[in-house]
Amino acid sequence: MTVLLGAAMVLAAIAGLGVVLSRQTIYSALSLVATIVMISVIFLLLNAQFLFAVQIIIYAGAVMVLFVFIIALLSPDAEDRPALDVRSVIGLIAIVAITVVVFVTARNGITFSGNTFRGQAIGSASNPYHAFSYPVDAVNASGNVQNTAGQLFTTFLLPFEITSLLLLVAVIGAVYLTRRGAQSR
Amino acid sequence: MINSQIFPYLLALSAFLFTVGATGVLVRRNPLVVFMCIELMLNAANVALVAFGRFLNSEEGQIFAFMVIVVAAAEVVVGLALITQVFRLGRELDVDELSELSEETDLVTQQ
Repeated sequence: MTVLLGAAMVLAAIAGLGVVLSRQTIYSALSLVATIVMISVIFLLLNAQFLFAVQIIIYAGAVMVLFVFIIALLSPDAEDRPALDVRSVIGLIAIVAITVVVFVTARNGITFSGNTFRGQAIGSASNPYHAFSYPVDAVNASGNVQNTAGQLFTTFLLPFEITSLLLLVAVIGAVYLTRRGAQSR
Repeated sequence: MINSQIFPYLLALSAFLFTVGATGVLVRRNPLVVFMCIELMLNAANVALVAFGRFLNSEEGQIFAFMVIVVAAAEVVVGLALITQVFRLGRELDVDELSELSEETDLVTQQ
């Protein structure tokens, strides 16, 4: 399982690089699909079965189909590869530096106002003062979808309703922006 | 099952994907690719949320990741509508060229 997770992580990183480095827009979109599928595999291996399904259906199914549809509609030209100038070098150094800093911080720990946070400590110990502590066995016994839905419709009911309002606003905004009368001039 | 030693690597993957996405937003000029890079950044945040939730034995990381997915879907809908409108105006699909809302001294012509 850990080997599978590591393979999915490596593939997600490579495909994520492909999104930025591809010259053709459609190749960027396909790389993003690969990244999303690999991230969904990571979700599945991290006991987030509901998010696995949502990631496949919403992202790879709906969002990326919309992207590919718009790419086919607009058929943008291939973009010149950005030249390897000072900005690109700074960007590459930033990518490597931030990744290394986060990895070292998560592995070796960081002391912040007397409390030491350490990724391995988080990984090995559960959180005793946490109100909604779900051990993996309990999640597997009752089901991830049931647990998530239970949380979503009790503790997080207000944020859930706000997301429905957000989707309504997005739909109205999209219809307003793309209506035919907007360009009648 | 999953070895908990892999948790720092998950955070590093999240940071890597986020930084790659941020670099793409800054470097690429096609607005569609810029939007894809924003999606990449949101997905990187989701990876960190789910990893923290998994290793803290909490469901809340998954709930927050779900909210992030909803926000990303809404953002894509509005963003692609905007790109389609820009295309209808007959403009080139290049974020460096779209400077109508900037002041008179725009950065592109100064270079």
